[in-house]
Amino acid sequence: MTQTLQWFAPRRQLAPRPRLVLGIMSFVLPLLIWSLVSYVPWIWHPLVEVTEPGSVSYFKAGQRVERELFAAETAKALEAGAPQPQGTPANPVYLPAPHEVLQAFYLAFTAEPERRNEKWLHESLADSIYVIFWGFVISSIIGLPLGILCGTYDVFSRLAEPFVEFFRYLPAPAFGALAVAILGIYQAPKIAIIVIGTLFQQILVISNTTRKLDPALLEAAQTLGARRLSLLFRVVVPGIITDVYKDMRILLGWAWTYLIVAELIGTSSGITWFITQQARYKNFDNVFAAIMIIGIIGLSTDLLLAWLGRRIFPWQRAEARA
Amino acid sequence: MTRMQQFELPSYLEQSDAVRDRFARLRQRPVVLEVKGLNKDFETSHGPVTALRDISFVTHKREFVCVIGPSGCGKSTLIRILAGLETPTSGQLLLDGRAVHGPGPDRGMVFQSYTLFPWLTVKKNVMFGLERAGRGRLAAEEEAMQWIELVGLSKFARSYPHQLSGGMKQRVAIARALANQPRILLMDEPFGALDAQTRAKMQSYLMEIWKNIDITVLFITHDLDEAIYLADRILVLKAHPGEVQELIEVPVPQPRSPEQLLSPEFLATRKRLEELIHPPQDDAALSEDHLNMVRMVAVDDEVESVF
Amino acid sequence: MKTTFRTRLGSLLGAACLVLSSLAGAEPLKIGYSDWPGWVAWEVGVEKQWFKEAGVDVEFEWFDYVASMDAFAAGQLQGVGMTNGDALVTGATGARSVMVLVNDYSDGNDMVIGGPGIAGVKDLKGKKIGVEIGFVSHLLLLDALKNNGMTEADVELVNVPTNETPQVLSSGQVDAIVAWQPNSGMALKLVPGSKAIYTSADQPGLIYDVLAVSPESLAANREDWMKVLKVWYRIVAYINDPKTRGDAVKIMASRVGVPPEEYEAFIAGTKILTLEEALPHMKKGDGFKSMYGSTQIADDFNVANKVYEKPQPVDAYIDPSLMNAL
Ligand SMILES: Nc1ncnc2c1ncn2[C@@H]1O[C@H](COP(=O)(O)OP(=O)(O)O)[C@@H](O)[C@H]1O
Ligand SMILES: [Mg+2]
Repeated sequence: MTQTLQWFAPRRQLAPRPRLVLGIMSFVLPLLIWSLVSYVPWIWHPLVEVTEPGSVSYFKAGQRVERELFAAETAKALEAGAPQPQGTPANPVYLPAPHEVLQAFYLAFTAEPERRNEKWLHESLADSIYVIFWGFVISSIIGLPLGILCGTYDVFSRLAEPFVEFFRYLPAPAFGALAVAILGIYQAPKIAIIVIGTLFQQILVISNTTRKLDPALLEAAQTLGARRLSLLFRVVVPGIITDVYKDMRILLGWAWTYLIVAELIGTSSGITWFITQQARYKNFDNVFAAIMIIGIIGLSTDLLLAWLGRRIFPWQRAEARA
Repeated sequence: MTRMQQFELPSYLEQSDAVRDRFARLRQRPVVLEVKGLNKDFETSHGPVTALRDISFVTHKREFVCVIGPSGCGKSTLIRILAGLETPTSGQLLLDGRAVHGPGPDRGMVFQSYTLFPWLTVKKNVMFGLERAGRGRLAAEEEAMQWIELVGLSKFARSYPHQLSGGMKQRVAIARALANQPRILLMDEPFGALDAQTRAKMQSYLMEIWKNIDITVLFITHDLDEAIYLADRILVLKAHPGEVQELIEVPVPQPRSPEQLLSPEFLATRKRLEELIHPPQDDAALSEDHLNMVRMVAVDDEVESVF
Repeated sequence: MKTTFRTRLGSLLGAACLVLSSLAGAEPLKIGYSDWPGWVAWEVGVEKQWFKEAGVDVEFEWFDYVASMDAFAAGQLQGVGMTNGDALVTGATGARSVMVLVNDYSDGNDMVIGGPGIAGVKDLKGKKIGVEIGFVSHLLLLDALKNNGMTEADVELVNVPTNETPQVLSSGQVDAIVAWQPNSGMALKLVPGSKAIYTSADQPGLIYDVLAVSPESLAANREDWMKVLKVWYRIVAYINDPKTRGDAVKIMASRVGVPPEEYEAFIAGTKILTLEEALPHMKKGDGFKSMYGSTQIADDFNVANKVYEKPQPVDAYIDPSLMNAL
């Protein structure tokens, strides 16, 4: 009793076991809701999938029609003594059932490409990861140092940040045609879109994180004889690095959201183009499967990075435990 | 005003022969720090604020000076100027007779907020200044370990700051500042965040260290007992603007021990400080301090009165 | 079929950076193609390696339609699959092209679809119609109205992105929509009682789908382009031959990622032209039967809808000589 009450104490960390259980629940619950909506006929199911058109001229087997309409047509047929249409409750095509998605997921990896130059799903995925990886690396090579400089020295901040603030509102996809004109039609313009989408946010986020460094640490370092460069490299950089690392994990997630526009630029390729194409033909089981693949990749990279972070920054690991 | 008043106290100006003799010798020592006509104004949105006005004093070699004064009187501002973290509006600051500008390792600083580098172990924290001074890695390590031993934390050399208690952190901060062998150690309410017990322990530690190494200390506190217990002389500041009110020679004989806390010299000095910091004359101000309270306990409350 | 101001902006930016691609003959011809049955058909030639057999070095690059025109405008492609109307738009905003081949015309894939209770175009009077304004579906609607003695003033247009038309029709917010495949088929599936009341089959030639090539490349590599056209007619024969049609459809369907049975329907609404069928359309003339006439109508429509300002020299965009020489 008191234990459960403690669960709702603000900012109190739970014991490891309930933490694990709740973490699993966070996946099980949505899955459960999805399953209920998909498999329990009286929950939602606003449509009827026609199995037997009966005497209704415009019904076809496999067509999904609204429940009211189906009922009305059935009543009409009954009145006329004509064969009645048959059907089962159904959801709109936009919401495939879990098993359909699972099947699509499985097929996506096992179905052999039909054409010589068609790609396996994992090859498309590799294309996407290539684009994300280089887009993020290039953005970071510029954004990290610039963000740290802006957060440390007012000169850089005034020189760069007003423009960056302006530029970050410009929609990255609008630069697609320009990127293609300059960088060609293959991966380079896609990488450029990821860079444009990530870089400007990155500069601002990193510079803000840098500004959050306790100024007393800089003062202490100065009274210990640290000057200019050693202040930057021995105090600012190590002082912010764990927070910057966290920022980078979040920014990497943002980079993924730009992938879907990046892959519509130049030649069509990659996992999100697959999503776009399948959605166009309303194959939502494939769409969901691909969305899930991205989710799995995203979550596992983040977990990997979190684990790696605890290795790299030992003082942070102990901090988390303390 | 206090229960101590029933005793007949000597004047705080009365010094025993030993004490007078000691102060005479102290004044003969070379001057480490000289502050001449220091002023500091801050530009604020409500116009300029004078934080310090015409502060002058000297500190002799291996002297322990405490600065005391009401909150907001400019103690921190003063010590930050001495450390080179603020620039004075006017006035001069001489260390060993030479003017100093900006922060440097010749003036060590210990802050109330610990300011240990969280990403460095205790040992690396203490090595920080040594490495900045160009000491080689091994030499710095060896030297750092000596300072860590001095503050009794050898067992924690590989720990990270967050694994230490507040008192331990502050000992590391002291070791880190001392490792640079500064001419003067500046301390801004270093024990202000510690509980009473730890604070008493830290005071003894500090006295121990001060006795054993060649260091001059300028120590800020708002705790009167702490100031008397630690200081050779106490610089009393008054607020708005921060001015030197008096420079008191503490008549309590050295070396100090906690038993002296009830000695007549101690109590006399304490009485004087209280007079300076909480002047008795402004009764009006005092009554203003009194909260304008309405009784908010139900009339039929089980506890009629807390007395 | 599918262009608007967004494209124009894109092409403009592209054109701003346009550096005329070098005329070096060693480079392979790059052709952009996208998701329309008449262009997806190229995949058959790619899969069968007929281009190599024909001794021409081409690379087909798979694009999103708008992105393919952007890439062409930016000089990254020497040829691209477009509609005749979009060739004008791309040209007006900086990247001139020459249409050397007609792949197909839409033969039912573009539809005006009436919701329940709308039996014909005449029933549209005073009704709300969801259509992407400035696009070819708009042009189809105007044609439908004109042939039934009405004008735009007799109906109320609601600007709806084409890929959202099925949902908009099923929600009942409009009485009819105009869309092309696969959206038109989706709408028919989604809205019981809806039907196509006017389609591009009623006006064949309203929209021609073509291979447009850059004038520079055509001048420098005329022989190669001839070979590309030859392969095209080999593909058409392969699709039309009942013995091989199944294989062709399978290849095409896998390019866009749908089951072959489903894709048959899309091919059915597209009239892929043999050389004999295509040649008459390449003759000058008025009206939709002629490429020239159809393109002229598209030009008028584009100017009227402010897609671009100045009328384009339609004749310069069409070069039937390659087809004639086959
Ligand atoms: N950076 C600053 N800008 C403006 N006013 C300041 C600044 N720092 C201190 N002050 C003002 O100077 C006075 C002295 O402050 P401080 O030295 O912190 O006092 P203390 O440490 O004695 O409590 C206060 O009135 C404070 O508001
Ligand atoms: Mg202070």
